[in-house]
Amino acid sequence: MIFRSTILLLAAVSSFFSHSSAQECNGTFKGRVLDDANQPMVGATITLSGAQRGTTTNASGDFHFDRLCKGVFRVKVQYLGYENLEFELTIDGTITKVLHLKEDVRQLQEVVVEDELQHTEHAHNLATLNAKQLAEAAGKSLGESLKEIPGVNSIQTGPGIFKPVIHGVHSQRVLILNHGIRQEGQQWGAEHAPEIDPFIASNVSVVKDAASIKYGTDAIGGVIIVNPAPLPESAGIGGSLNLIGQTNGRSGTFSGMLEGGIGNHDGWGWRAQGTAKRTGDFHAPSYSLTNTGIRELNFSASTGFHNERLGFEIFYSHFSSDLGILKGTSIGNQGDLEEAMERSVPLYTSSFSYDIGEPRQEVEHNLLKISGHIKTRRGELRLQYGFQNNQRREFDLRIGDLSNTPELNLRLNTQTIEAEWETVPSEKWTISTGATGMFQQNRKVDGTQRVPFIPDFNNISAGLFSVTKVYLRQWTIDIGARYDYRYYSVAGYDYKNSLFQSTLQFNNVSATAGATVNIRKSGTLNLNVSSAWRPPHVAELYSVGTHQSAAANEYGFLLNDSTNEVLDIDAVSFKTEQALKFVATYQHNWKDFTFEVTPYLNYIFNYIYLRPTGISQNVRGTYAYFRYTQTDALFLGADLSGVWRVNPFLKVTPKISLLRASDVRHDDYLVFIPSNRYELAIRYDRPTIAGLKNFFAESTAKYISRQNRAPRVVTVAEINDAIERGEDPFEEDDANFDFMEAPPGYFLWNVAVGMSLKGESTQYDFRLGSENLLNTSYREYTNRFRYYADDLGRNFIISVKCTF
Amino acid sequence: MNRLPIAIALFSLLFVLGCEVESPVREDVPELITQVTLTFTPTDGEPLIVTATDPDGEGVQDVQVDGNISLETMKTYTLTLSLTNGLAQPSDPEYDVTEEVEEEAHEHFFYFSWTNGVFSDPAGDGNIDNRAGAVNYEDEDVNGLPLGLATVWTAGVPSSGEFRIVLKHQPDLKTATSESTIGETDVDITFPIKVE
Repeated sequence: MIFRSTILLLAAVSSFFSHSSAQECNGTFKGRVLDDANQPMVGATITLSGAQRGTTTNASGDFHFDRLCKGVFRVKVQYLGYENLEFELTIDGTITKVLHLKEDVRQLQEVVVEDELQHTEHAHNLATLNAKQLAEAAGKSLGESLKEIPGVNSIQTGPGIFKPVIHGVHSQRVLILNHGIRQEGQQWGAEHAPEIDPFIASNVSVVKDAASIKYGTDAIGGVIIVNPAPLPESAGIGGSLNLIGQTNGRSGTFSGMLEGGIGNHDGWGWRAQGTAKRTGDFHAPSYSLTNTGIRELNFSASTGFHNERLGFEIFYSHFSSDLGILKGTSIGNQGDLEEAMERSVPLYTSSFSYDIGEPRQEVEHNLLKISGHIKTRRGELRLQYGFQNNQRREFDLRIGDLSNTPELNLRLNTQTIEAEWETVPSEKWTISTGATGMFQQNRKVDGTQRVPFIPDFNNISAGLFSVTKVYLRQWTIDIGARYDYRYYSVAGYDYKNSLFQSTLQFNNVSATAGATVNIRKSGTLNLNVSSAWRPPHVAELYSVGTHQSAAANEYGFLLNDSTNEVLDIDAVSFKTEQALKFVATYQHNWKDFTFEVTPYLNYIFNYIYLRPTGISQNVRGTYAYFRYTQTDALFLGADLSGVWRVNPFLKVTPKISLLRASDVRHDDYLVFIPSNRYELAIRYDRPTIAGLKNFFAESTAKYISRQNRAPRVVTVAEINDAIERGEDPFEEDDANFDFMEAPPGYFLWNVAVGMSLKGESTQYDFRLGSENLLNTSYREYTNRFRYYADDLGRNFIISVKCTF
Repeated sequence: MNRLPIAIALFSLLFVLGCEVESPVREDVPELITQVTLTFTPTDGEPLIVTATDPDGEGVQDVQVDGNISLETMKTYTLTLSLTNGLAQPSDPEYDVTEEVEEEAHEHFFYFSWTNGVFSDPAGDGNIDNRAGAVNYEDEDVNGLPLGLATVWTAGVPSSGEFRIVLKHQPDLKTATSESTIGETDVDITFPIKVE
């Protein structure tokens, strides 16, 4: 029904506007906005005063005006903290320009959204880490860098594994687009971090509404978009080198990039990039975190051609990482778990080492992408093909010589194909229609000598979408709808190690509607409501047994409650997960203060999660076991941020993330929900001072409050006591629980200073920073190691970046 | 779910024909222990055998113990332990886990505890709570440390209680004093015991 009515609405909207299409106006003005460091600027405002038109740059800094009538226009480019750029432009045919903005050093002006600005390109709740912010987070993993964005957090497994969380949801509910391709790894595991080298990105955007329409299912929490810098289009070679050293973990990271044009062939460009990282054992303030080292080696290469009409690109990237998991988390049974949790210093703790032993993970990810687009007078056609190969091996302490044999060894191959057709029937609206397909094969690599934790499967998915954008006076309106189908063929082994096979099918509709409006001169309001769904992951349906450091058995939704036999999906009351999300963003600019507030409400029907169900005994002892089950969950929160420019050099930036999440059906709380967090940064910037360039000094104070909205606590000791009395502690009350109280709130203080040296064609950026300067001992609620060990102690970071 | 039955039928036909996943190769599961067998062989007479069996390995059913360890007062027994995977066939190499433990004796250790008084030798209540507690080990690893697949026991005065066996995996951690709280648990089983 939703689908049909959206089509009708689209048709109605199209007939309303079709009569107004201009006839003689076919000029185009497009280009890219870059900063001093030639990095794309996302969200810069461009207005054409003659045409009463305006837009903002997209994630790669590009902007585009179509259907301009011949004539002279006044162009104005604005970005907060940068000098305005104004010039006159004669439009006749197609004009392409690269526009450079300079950082504003004299006086920081308010950016007023001008009267003439009729509409903006994006009706999304978009937050971005730009090139500068990414450079300052260099050396961190992608998931850790993203924590800079209000509303974005992480589920952590020790110091090496960060899984992004948007507005309280994660894993299968967050979609990551790497170079435009859906990242397909083994996302189901809370200890499986995204396999992406952050150095391949020139900026990373987070879409906080469920704008899944273009990208497919699963974006219930939002979308993380990893954008590369555009390829060079003319001759000459450039590049950069990064060297980063950190004291905590005695880590070294080296990353280099080279790019250039191809001979005198205008429009051709290439880039090659690589990163090597080595980290030893991290340390908490009072002890070493034994076996938390990381080894990473990544590289990528791309080449492509672009001109005004068409473009194509080939991109290949390889990611490989070998990382250790705190040895003190190796657990055999519930008694071991009690021991591990009660220890003040984790078992196996020894002095610093770069060695990585069991438990550990070896992950490899390969991505090949081929994309192209062609512009015609009627519109633009974009095609994209992606191939991904993901290999994950997990090693544990095992009996015999099996420690060298992975207990989990999975190979996941994914092919995706996408086609999109975008037309601009008139100045007043655009429409984009597309189809996507995915073929995915998950295979265990034979020889693990264990009952496989998840079965082999084939996944075939197909989708159709249509999105339209309508400009109505002060309003920009986005409407979209999408239909998706998924087919699974599954073959695996159950607890008895006997074969089961089944096929499953899911299909559903997603829809979104958004509106952006300028309120007076200085406010912008963005409203979005969307309904998204996701098919269940095979792991949620068929998981059996225990996996790395879980110390609990996990059983999929389709396993019988009492016998664990695999059931047919029609025999259980399974419904696909469906989210209804409302997000509003209001931004207001005063002369020297800007603030943004983003309240949101996400109601997820049939939310799938692991619920404690009982106690099971085998010859190793007793275990708590968890079953995937469904409830309705409510996520309610707000992100707030502001920038106060005290004077031209001093900037105060507060950020606040608030969230409460509850299990509505059981009137209970959910576990591992990020607590409220508050941050205040004070930054002093001097673009030129005493011969130094880009000098800055920054102090950031963070307060992470205790999670008071946590489920009840049932300690391991209580569970063990109950077992000794011959009772099942969950028999009468099977409410959600956690093994430990939420840790107390904590305060962290980070500082950094930096400056640049500029030569004729090279620039050196130096940065010295410290995290947890006070060496505070703390535990983070969303870190799965909080049961066993303190979080990281003081860390000094020194980094040098050379751009040439 | 039946909103677009035609599309589904079409997709199904296409995909079910060509895209079903093949059956993966069945894994051996040598670590899975579903049965612990205790054989008490007296110096004279018939051996006494008791077992603890887990019917479903990683599944949710509890371990079943097939009765009392019934010993004769003041009699001396040699206890041998055997670990097997009852979900495998006896002909499969993964059936006998005892061998694996023997091969890695320097990383494994059996701890015992019992209700005080059921044995006259060793005295005390075992070495689970305190490693120094006496247990008569009859075997050792390459480092000369005891293992516990074979032990010797002399029953005490008539009484009843419990007998618990814990097997710990202690890679690089096993020493003459390593407590039962160290390492990963491979076996933790409790039997009722009776001396008549």
